[in-house]
Amino acid sequence: MRRGSPPGIEIPGYPRPSHPGLPRTGLFAKPREGATVGSPGFQSRAAQVLVLALLTLLTVPAGADDLHGHIELLAKGGKGPARGSDVRQTVIYFEPASPRPVKPPEKPFEMVTRRKAFEPRQLVIPRGSRVRFPNEDPILHNVFSVSAPNQFDLGLYKGAPGKEKRFEKAGLVRVYCNVHHDMVSYILVLDTPFHTTPDASGEFALPGLPRGPGKLVVWHEQADPWTMDVELPQKGPLAVGLQIVRPLVPSHLDKTGKSYFRSRGDRYENR
Amino acid sequence: MALGTSFGRVCVLLVLGAALGVPAVAQETGETAANPGWTFQYNLEVRANYRDSEENRFPLPYAFELDQLPVGQTRGFEETVDAGSHFEFSNVALFATVGRGDLFTAHGKLDLIDLYDRNPTSTGQKVDIDEAWLRFGREPETATLAARSGVYLKLGKIPKFERQDDRHLQSYGLVSTAFNRFEETGAELGLHLGRHFYLKARAAAGNPVFLRDPNALAGDNGTPELRRLNPDPDLKSGVPILYNAHSTNFDLDGELETGAGVGWRLADEGGRNGLDLLAWENRRKLADTVRIHGTFYGGDLDILSAPPTRVGNATFAIRNDEKREVGGNVWLYLGGFSFFGQYVDQDLAGLPRTGVEGEVAWRFDLPLLWAVGGRQLFPSIAPSVRYSKLDNDFRNPPQTPSPSFSWDWEKIDAGLRLGLLTGLDLTLEYADNRFILATGAKRKNNEFLTTLAWRLR
Repeated sequence: MRRGSPPGIEIPGYPRPSHPGLPRTGLFAKPREGATVGSPGFQSRAAQVLVLALLTLLTVPAGADDLHGHIELLAKGGKGPARGSDVRQTVIYFEPASPRPVKPPEKPFEMVTRRKAFEPRQLVIPRGSRVRFPNEDPILHNVFSVSAPNQFDLGLYKGAPGKEKRFEKAGLVRVYCNVHHDMVSYILVLDTPFHTTPDASGEFALPGLPRGPGKLVVWHEQADPWTMDVELPQKGPLAVGLQIVRPLVPSHLDKTGKSYFRSRGDRYENR
Repeated sequence: MALGTSFGRVCVLLVLGAALGVPAVAQETGETAANPGWTFQYNLEVRANYRDSEENRFPLPYAFELDQLPVGQTRGFEETVDAGSHFEFSNVALFATVGRGDLFTAHGKLDLIDLYDRNPTSTGQKVDIDEAWLRFGREPETATLAARSGVYLKLGKIPKFERQDDRHLQSYGLVSTAFNRFEETGAELGLHLGRHFYLKARAAAGNPVFLRDPNALAGDNGTPELRRLNPDPDLKSGVPILYNAHSTNFDLDGELETGAGVGWRLADEGGRNGLDLLAWENRRKLADTVRIHGTFYGGDLDILSAPPTRVGNATFAIRNDEKREVGGNVWLYLGGFSFFGQYVDQDLAGLPRTGVEGEVAWRFDLPLLWAVGGRQLFPSIAPSVRYSKLDNDFRNPPQTPSPSFSWDWEKIDAGLRLGLLTGLDLTLEYADNRFILATGAKRKNNEFLTTLAWRLR
């Protein structure tokens, strides 16, 4: 992560947002059956947005501030926009210098294996939360991660309700299947309630941030994380360009540290 | 001398290449698996075949006595081992591996039946310890990056390091069969300098030089039946080539074979894409004879000699007792595409031979449509083609009993491997096996093979 980097990469020709929208809430919602934070269906319900907005107002401390801006995904080398990458998969979060602990929900979040893929592809959860991994495929999967200090291995299984894991430490957890190399997902375990994702045009807003110093992080699975020390209130919108440097399926080894492509055991192995 | 010079040049080029080479691909996740404690893994593999082999016979110039031939036959032949259509259980193999992280690994493989590896005749060992070795240290997989500089030592009955370690077809190419298909008993030392460059060395008992048919089913040379009067064994001689036969014991008596290799590899962290280049050399002194289980023929120099007949010499023009092989290998993996290539230059007691082989395969993962018992039905399909060529640049003695030793061989194996379930697959393949007789005439000895392989893990 870059620390104390300049406030965003100015994108030539980019019009400053006149009014920041509220594409997704920055507060962790209680996970429910069939809905997880960050799932489009969840945000599309107007009533829930209203409730969340009210919740936001109730939890905003005195002297709260907004931070808004625009994210653009750039091709490697910064030459032009990136193709095939979804800006809505970006997560923007603010960590105040004085931490605001978040109580994890009692019910677990869910990440389902379906058609040899994880759904949703990424989850943002408060530290201490549990995530359940139901397997809705008719075949066995082996969900695991070697992301320290949240590494886990759920072993081979199928069916619901599936196995679960509690994430006690903040950080990024890369989740894979030990059987199927191309199954990839991410769990961002945060120690802050202030996070959001941009809309399809890249606009984002983080409302109700506490005034004072803190760290702003912009994360996308295909880019190196962008970090900036900020002092709120911040003047004007941010414009951040993230270079896509990784493929959608990052190069990774299986849970034993071996290549999927040499240890598959379905060739006529000689050893 | 020329071989040594060329090998030295290759080594220098590879060392320079490593020094100037592309740096390691950046680790994309920066994460590695935790070093596991004790691990134990066992496997069972069963293979069954349907085989249809062309029936061919090629007359021999060797002047056999009439009582050495079947009744009514006045000359001998090299003949297809077991022509026609057959269903066979070709192998049952048990594997076991015990390890403790990178520190230590013990591996054993026991073959039962094993029609295709049995050495060198159908009366060879039906129960065979195919592999049994201990390894100290981490040995990176082919065409993957080493995690760091390191060293490993492997002791026991081990595969040759230049061998193709994953094949897509059941059959073997001519070069693999002739030079490096079989394990040997000895020690292998590997040194990894950085993530790309590596050195390997070995000292082993060496595989005795013998003869076998390069088609899937081994020949039946030297069975006890041949010692009867007017023998007519069910399994015939095959159309054999000279090859480095299976070690049938763990003795380290006699002259050791020494080998060295220098290699360079480039890969992404996950090994989806990888390139591995290896140049190597093996040498040893040939024994006057080597006793081989299941046959009364002797290996090494003995197999190049035959008693003179009433009409002439039957011994090859051997000039010394040295066996020396120099070779180069390429492994390339690009997603589902893979290529393996090897070139070998052999000097066998003054008889020069060269071989070249290349195999391409493309594995396609199929979409999940059906499943049985938690496993995907039809998970993958992999077409594969292999070309191999063996140039024997020496002449037969006038009275040779094995004229096919000096023929030039060319083999194309084409097949399709269909995953039925994870751990169960079906391979259909056809071997177009051609050779050029001493007269210049071209002949074929083809084979169709279907293999059902089941692995329990």
